[in-house]
Parts: sequence; C-alpha cells; structure tokens
Amino acid sequence: MKSRPEILIEARELAYRYPGEENISSPAVYGVNLSVKRGEYVSLIGPNGSGKTTLLKLFNALLAPTEGEVLVEGISTTEEEKQVEIRRSCGMIFQNPDNQLVATTVEEDIAFGLENLELPSSEIRKRVEKVSSALGLKHLLKHPPHMLSGGEKGRVAIAGILAMQPSCILMDEPTAMLDSKSRQDVLGAVRHLNREQGLAVVHVTHFPEEAARADRVVIIDQGRLIEQGPPSVIMNKLQLLHQLGLQGTAPSELAALLRKDGFSIPEEILNCQELVQSLCTSELKI
Amino acid sequence: MNRSITLGQYLPGESLVHQLNPRIKILALLIMLAVLFIVQTFHALIFLLLFAVLLLASSGVPFSYFLRGIRPILYIALFALVIYFFFNKGGVVLLRIGSVTVESDGVREGLFVVTRLVALVLYSLLLTLTTTPLSLTHGMGYFLKPLSYIGLPTDEVAMIMSIALRFIPTLMEESQRLMRAQLSRGADFESGSIFRKAKNLVPLIVPLFISAFRRADELALAMEARGFRLGARRTRLHEDIIAPRDWAVLIFVLAVLTAALALNI
Amino acid sequence: MYIGTENLSHIYMPGTPYATKALDEVSFSVGEGDFALLIGPSGSGKSTLIQHLNGLLKPTGGRVVFEDLELGAENVDLLSLRKRVGLVFQMAEEHFFSETVYDEVAFAPRNLGLEEDLVEQNVRSALENVGLDWQEVCHRHPFQLSSGQKRLVALAAVLSIKPEVLILDEPTAGLDPGGRLHLFDLLRMLNQQTGLTVLVCTHHMDEVAALADKVLVLNRGKVVMAGPAPDIFARRQELNDLGLSLPEITEVMHCLAKKGLPARTDIYTLEQARAEINSLKRRLKK
Repeated sequence: MKSRPEILIEARELAYRYPGEENISSPAVYGVNLSVKRGEYVSLIGPNGSGKTTLLKLFNALLAPTEGEVLVEGISTTEEEKQVEIRRSCGMIFQNPDNQLVATTVEEDIAFGLENLELPSSEIRKRVEKVSSALGLKHLLKHPPHMLSGGEKGRVAIAGILAMQPSCILMDEPTAMLDSKSRQDVLGAVRHLNREQGLAVVHVTHFPEEAARADRVVIIDQGRLIEQGPPSVIMNKLQLLHQLGLQGTAPSELAALLRKDGFSIPEEILNCQELVQSLCTSELKI
Repeated sequence: MNRSITLGQYLPGESLVHQLNPRIKILALLIMLAVLFIVQTFHALIFLLLFAVLLLASSGVPFSYFLRGIRPILYIALFALVIYFFFNKGGVVLLRIGSVTVESDGVREGLFVVTRLVALVLYSLLLTLTTTPLSLTHGMGYFLKPLSYIGLPTDEVAMIMSIALRFIPTLMEESQRLMRAQLSRGADFESGSIFRKAKNLVPLIVPLFISAFRRADELALAMEARGFRLGARRTRLHEDIIAPRDWAVLIFVLAVLTAALALNI
Repeated sequence: MYIGTENLSHIYMPGTPYATKALDEVSFSVGEGDFALLIGPSGSGKSTLIQHLNGLLKPTGGRVVFEDLELGAENVDLLSLRKRVGLVFQMAEEHFFSETVYDEVAFAPRNLGLEEDLVEQNVRSALENVGLDWQEVCHRHPFQLSSGQKRLVALAAVLSIKPEVLILDEPTAGLDPGGRLHLFDLLRMLNQQTGLTVLVCTHHMDEVAALADKVLVLNRGKVVMAGPAPDIFARRQELNDLGLSLPEITEVMHCLAKKGLPARTDIYTLEQARAEINSLKRRLKK
C-alpha cells in the first residue's frame, strides 16, 4: 500500500478564466490557496456567481487551471493520464441530479462509473449492492430515474459517486431543490460517511445551518478566498457575511442582536443548543 | 408533477421471462414469429396462442396491459375480418344479404388471420413488456454487431440510445411544464394561420433548446467526472452471459415449436 | 370566497393503470389582500393545486373559484382567469426566450392584447416594482443578468399583467440568502402597498413565515391543516412528522420553551425573537 498523504486536495495560487472572458477584468477564480485534509468536512459559501462551482470543477480536473495548480493526492490535475484516477478519488455531485443520472435504471446508473473503471461485473454488483443498501436505495434499483423523487435522485447521484470509493466528494448545492425531509436524508447520508468512513467532503451551500455543521467554512467572493476557519468563528463574522449578501445561522444572528442589548453571550454561538444553553445559564436563569 | 410518462412498455418484474437474457428472448421471438407464419392449421395456431397465454401468465404482467397493447391493432383486425368475410369465397354459404354472401372458407380464413395477428402481437408484447428498453437495445446491438466490422461505432450507438432512452421522458416532462408556463403567460399555441402558429412556437422552442443544450453540457461533464472517456473500454454491470437456464428455455421453446409444427401436419 | 377551491380533485392519466390521484377533495380559500403560504413535502400536490388556480389543469372533480369566475370540469374562458391570476413557475427564468428584458416582460401583456403604449407602461412599472433600474435593464439580454436579477425579471414578467392574485412556486429556489431576503421583501411590499393577494408555495420557510397571514398544509393530495399562520406553526410536531421544518429562529424559541422558560413560540423573525427574549429577561427579573 502506497503512503497516503494527509493533504487530499491542495490548490496553490489557483486561477481560472473561462475561455472568451479574457477581457473581463476579474477571472472566475483568482489567487486561491486552499487545502482539504483527509476526512475533513469543508463548506464553501459565497453569493451566487462567486466562483464556487468553478472551484469544484478545478478540483475534479474538469477544468485545467489557467494559473497555479491543483494537486489531488499529490497528483496535478493537468496530468492527462491520471485524470480518471483523480475523478475517482474526488467524486463530484452536481447541483441538478437530473442532469447527472446517465442510465435508464438506478442500478445501471450507480454502476456507470464502475463500468468506466473497467471493474469486473461481479465486483460492480457487489459495490452497487453495498452502496444502495447504505443509502436506502435497494427497493429502487430497477426504477428509471424520472420516476424518482428529488431526494431519491440526489441519493442516487451520491451512490454513483460513492460506489467508486472516493476519498472525497465535492458537492455543488446538492440540496437546493429539495424539501427539508429530503435534505436531511441526503446530507445525513453524507455526514454518516464522513464520520464513519473518513470520507472528506467539500460542500457548496446557500444554507447557513448546513455550512455550520462543517469542520471548516470557506468564504468565496468574486473568485477569491475571503476568509476561512471553524464555523463557530466564520458564521459569527456577521458584518462580513452581510456585506457579501450572506447570513450567519439564525442563532448566531440572534446572539449578535442580543449582545447589542447588553446580554453577555459568548462570541462563538453556532446552533440552537449553544444559544439556549448560554441564555439559560446566565441571562435567563430561573 | 407527472411521473407517469413511460417509455417503451417495460414493466418491472422478477419472473423467469423477465430475467432471461435479452439475446435469447429476441432470438426466441424471431423463431416464434417465423413458426407463426409457417403454421397453417387451426389447432397448431391455437396451441401457439395458448402457449403465449401461458407465458404471459407466468410473466406476472397484468392482462390489462396486453389488452391495451392489442387495442391499436383492433381496427386492422376488424378490417381484415370484413375483407375475408365478404370477399373470400368457398365452402358453405352462411349468410346472404341481397347479392352479398358470407361463406365458410372466408370466415375460417378471416378468423385464422386475425388469431395469427393476435398471437404475433402477444409474443412481441411479451418481449417489450418484460425487457427494459436498455436490454432491448443491447440485445439488438448484439445482432447488429457484425456491422462494427464495416466501421459502424456500435458501442457508441448503444450509449447514445441508452442516453436518449434516459432523457426522453425528462424532456417530455419539461416541454409539458414549459408549455404550461407560457400558457399561464397568455401564450396561444392553437389559433391563427400556419405562420402565426410557427411564430407562436418560439417561446416554446427557444427555452427547450437552451435547456437541452445545458443538460447535454452538464451531462457530458458529469459523465466525464465519473471517468467516462469516449472509445475507452468499459465493463458491464450485467454481464451479457447466456446462462444454462437461458439455453434450457430456448430448447424448451424450440420443443414447443416443434410440437406446433407436428400439429400442423 | 375570493380565491380557492371546493372539493377539488385531480387524477393524472385517469382510466389507465398509471392513474394517480394528485389532489383529493381539496377545499381552501384565500382572502383578498392575504399573504398565504402553501406548504407540504415534495409530491404532496402543491404544484398541481396552483396550476389549477391558473386554469392550466382541469379539475377531475370539484371546482376552482375566483371571485365571480368558476372553473369546473366544463369549459370556461381560461384567458380571463389568467389575466387576473398570475403564476410564477419554479425557476421561471429558464423559460426566457426573448432577446431583451423588455420583450420578455412584455410577452404576457402583449398576449393579453394590450395596446403597445399600455404594454410599455406595464413593463416599466413591473420592472420598477421588482426594484430593477428600468433604463439600465430593459435593453439588455436576459441571459447577461445575474441569477438574482433573472429571478426578478421572471417575477416582473408576471407582474406586467397587473394580476390581482400572484402565485409563486418555490420563488427562492437556488438563490443566495441575500437574494432570498430581497425577493420576500419585495413580495411583502407588493402585498402591503398594492393590496396584491400573494400565495407562496414553498418548503423553505425561514424567510417567509413571518409574512404569512394564512397557511395551508398539503400532504398526499389532501389538506391536512389550514388556518391562520400562528395556529399552524404552533403545531410543530405534526409539521415535523410531515417532513416540514419551522424557521430556524422559531426552533430557538421552542428550545427555550422546552427548557421551561415562559417564552412565546409564535416568533418568525430575528427582531421578534430579540424583542421576546428581552421581554422575557425583564419578566424573569420581576
């Protein structure tokens, strides 16, 4: 077994300009230095059009950097012959699952990537079986994708990537179109894999409460990395977030307002429990 | 939301018929159709029809589906009956209306032809109802394989077919949605001259094309992201192996057909 | 009744083995000038219901009522309904087809046979109503706009018929937090200043709960709850069981209440929560 570097994805001075946009002053991505560790859960937040999706595509070797480089498990994404390996180890889940389900049945779709890896059929079947039971899709294996609900489509898309046994999954707003039950289903499955199997996750999201559950939050604006750190810090930089048209979590926003009213609440409030805990032990002690 | 758009007629199931190798199924169907055309006696034909019914029952597909499948040929069948009844002469006169007669040979042959037609359709339905469009494509692809020796990209064609099968329902759903969206903005797709009508389709066609291109783009990216490369070798989830079971079924079908041909004498 | 349905049922593909009952005896009404919410998990029949209100689907049973108009299984003048009840589809910017923003927004009023100078007037006021700079935007290509702006144009494209009722299907899907807040602000303003009746169909309640006068909950094609917003949102457990979640901020108040504090839970905005917690602190001091 070859040694596995601790850093999974590393972007150095990464920049990308879309072809035909040479004259536009700001590139889609510019000067980004970012690394993702094995097993880490990173959230990317930023306004619409800030370059988050472009960044994911660069990580997945779907785009080649115009400047700088991306290393995935130590391999540069520009190495043509290693691209399949990079895409296997860093699977990507797009925003609209409808456009990434390729096959006419769920099982064929989950198998698609494995077929591209030229795995023997018996191994493909084994993995399809394993992944589909892990994501609760077993009863749907023979169904065509258009008969599935949004949440089911999302889980099939994830299953297709997980079957390839990646070290990391890149998710581009996988829950934007889902209701809250389906969102919990999809994200719950991902979080479970992150905790139990050390799967690294890079998750682009517009929902502060989703970002708050990451190990690290990264703010992107106009193609640049603006700030990064643990969610308890980043989601409380409310002035910065508001400037960019973003928000903290509801509890962090509320905590800030209450601080203005003279409440003594610690700076690093992130979720409901923390805020309630803090209020109950000091200001609202019965 | 309309989830009911189905392409082809496939109905999921676990029966033996469902699980057979599509190549064997297609081959069996082809032989079956040939035999149906060879047999000339009623008892051989009825025997084959009963065999079809037996297979249908074993497939677990509700009969209503077969009845619906037969519906489209009802008019052809009626038309054939009328032609045979009134224009085929011979045997005993069964009915006389003025100068028009219906004679027994005509009735016999009419019924024979219609029964044969029904049997043909039932056997074909048995294939299409129990085989996914994808396996059908693969099965037929196998029989078209020789074409790859004259330079036709049969593997790519199979991939294109399967993607088309995947996206046709999605695009149909989308065009329906789009149509409703533009209707709600007062669009009119029905009245006016032909030029007017063509012009009125712009609000439908432009977004549909844009969306189809965007989908194609995203799909291409997603396929690439999952390691797909044009022309690269791929393996298959379901190996196309012909199991002993498939051979057994083929031999059984051939035996039944031989029996039918024996009855034909 | 101003607008609503009486025993409305809808069956897709009736008389085939694929027949599915999308709506089952749905009766509800929304008053003139109300801001109503239609919520329910995906697949609950929300889209089917609102398409009836716009005359896009014909009832299988029961009827749709709008003031003096009644739409049952028999034919009525659908255009007269569509002139007065506007429907903004989910991701409506994907239905754009014109060369300029002006033409896009003018499409509906032109279809309804308005004189060109009246069309221009309507387009202008619609664009201004959604907060876009009419001069700057009207000659631009719709695809050059940012995703938030596109959504606003999609809204203007329906406002341009000067509807009396505005129905929106997931109006904030895919928008960043800033875009979501802006859109709901607009809707609140339109509702309060022009008396426009608004019906929002969504499963993401964070920003919109505070605006609602009335809430209707659908599940599996049936109305399972209907009434004034505070009454419905008070039934937290039942909503959760349906896979629907309350706004995050409301959850905070529920957490406080669970700790035994006499906190009100009919709180849907940060400011309300702030005021309530301050008052709670004062009450506890006494």
